[in-house]
Amino acid sequence: MLFFRSEELIDEWCRTRGVTPRPIVRMDQLWQLAVTWYSTRLEAESRRPAPNEMRSIFEGIGLAGDFWDPTADAFA
Amino acid sequence: MSLDLSRANDFDTVVKLALYGITAESGRIPAIDAAADRVRATPAAVKEAYLRLRARRLLWLEADSVTVRMAPPFSGVPTQHHVMVDGIEYYANCAWDALGIPAALHRPGLVRSRCEQSLAPLELNVGLEGPEPSPWLFHCLVPAAKWWDDLVFT
Repeated sequence: MLFFRSEELIDEWCRTRGVTPRPIVRMDQLWQLAVTWYSTRLEAESRRPAPNEMRSIFEGIGLAGDFWDPTADAFA
Repeated sequence: MSLDLSRANDFDTVVKLALYGITAESGRIPAIDAAADRVRATPAAVKEAYLRLRARRLLWLEADSVTVRMAPPFSGVPTQHHVMVDGIEYYANCAWDALGIPAALHRPGLVRSRCEQSLAPLELNVGLEGPEPSPWLFHCLVPAAKWWDDLVFT
């Protein structure tokens, strides 16, 4: 889970490693993920989102498909 | 930062809050002895709690099961993702967690990292409402279903 300055640099990074580029996430989307995962992490009642919650969180910020599905077996 | 341990209703939660509290105060994930001192328990009891917290995917342990490598979003080892909050420097596990540290602490912060291809430095101010406008991007190679297979690689 890395930062890149541009989409072209992501493509270059993937090409040099022979790996498939994955969906790209903008900073505003990443902030939504950070808040959802961690804003209660230092509290007693915090927990990780369950798989069905994860799917709806991702879809809510425009991240859909098997890549973002924690129960998908498409990458097994 | 002081966390209210009296609200924790089980030992695992007490341990988790102590671990996160020390990390938030110091910027470093504590050794098991320091966590045990904080909760007034033995290191062996804290180790058992660590293993249960690992099973709940709240911690990532080293092979010795007593060293916390990741208490997300905090990293127990130095990484390229530095986050400065209120004069304390933290290490994040990944780009996602770099934004997660200001989110977890509910404080503004400065993220310092890099572009993994060009190695250009990133400096990103993160306020209470999120990061300043930025064209930088986040890329994750590992699909969500595989993240916890090897969290260090992810």
